[in-house]
Amino acid sequence: MAAAFAAGGLLTLMVHFNGELGRYGGALFSSWTAHGTGTIAALAFVLALRSKWRAAGDIGRTVPLWAYLGGVSGALTVMITSIAVNSPLALSGTLALGLGGQVIFSLAADRWGLFGLPRRRPGLRDLGALALVMAGSAVIIFFGLGG
Amino acid sequence: MTANVLLAVLAGILVGVSRQLNGRLSLSTSPLVASFWNHVVGFGVLTATGLAMGGLIPEGARDVPWFDYIGGPIGVVFVAAGSWLLVRIGAANTALLIVGGQMVSGVLLDWLLADSFAPAPSTIGVMLILAGMALMQKRF
Repeated sequence: MAAAFAAGGLLTLMVHFNGELGRYGGALFSSWTAHGTGTIAALAFVLALRSKWRAAGDIGRTVPLWAYLGGVSGALTVMITSIAVNSPLALSGTLALGLGGQVIFSLAADRWGLFGLPRRRPGLRDLGALALVMAGSAVIIFFGLGG
Repeated sequence: MTANVLLAVLAGILVGVSRQLNGRLSLSTSPLVASFWNHVVGFGVLTATGLAMGGLIPEGARDVPWFDYIGGPIGVVFVAAGSWLLVRIGAANTALLIVGGQMVSGVLLDWLLADSFAPAPSTIGVMLILAGMALMQKRF
C-alpha cells in the first residue's frame, strides 16, 4: 500500500526530470534518453541485486514472445501523449482522458484476465475507492494545475 | 477534436497494456528483469523513430544539467514496482494506487516549485484521493 503510493511519487519525480529533458530537446529526445539511461541502470540493478533472469519452474521456461513488447507500448505512449498535449486538449485534458483510458483498461484487464494474468472481480469497495480517486484527480487536474 | 480525444484515451490504454505485458513478463522472470527488457525494447523503438525523423540528438541537448538524466533510472524502479504490484493486487488497484500517489506528490511538487498554485482545489482533490485510499486500505 505505502510502497504503491511511493511508486506514484517516483512517477512524479520521473515526469518532472523527463519534462526538464524535454524542455531542452523535445519529447522524443527526452524519452529516448530516459530509456537509454534506464537500460544501463536496469542492467546495473539486475546484476547488483542478482535478480532472476528466469523464474523457477515451467513459467520461467515458457515466456510468450509478446510479453517482451511492453516497451513498444511505452514508446508509443510517449509519441501519442506529445501529440495530445499540443492539441486543444492541453495538459489537463490529456491527463484526465489518459486516466480514464487507464481505468477502463485496467477494469477490463482484471475482468477478463488480459495478457495471461489472473482474473479479478472488483468489489463495491474497490469501485468506490476508484471513484473517489478519479474524482480527486479530476479536481486537481482541472482546478489545481497552474491555478 | 474527436481524434485528439481518442488519442489521449489511447495513451492511457497503452499505459495499462504496457503494465500488463511487463507484469506477465515479470512472472516468467522477475520485476527488475521485466523492467530491463521494457527499457531495452523501448530504447530500440525510439532510436528507430528518431533516426526516421532525421536525428536523435537535438541542438539544446548539450545544455542539459547532469541531474536531469536521473529520470531514466527512476523509471526503472517505477516500472519494476508496477509489475510487482500488478501480479499481487490486480490492474485496477495498481492503477488506483499509482494514480493517487502521483496526484498527491504532484500537488506537493507544484506547491514547492510552481509559481502558480491553487491551494483550495488541490486540497479538496488530495482529500478525495486520501478518502479513496482509506476506503481501499480496509482490505490490505
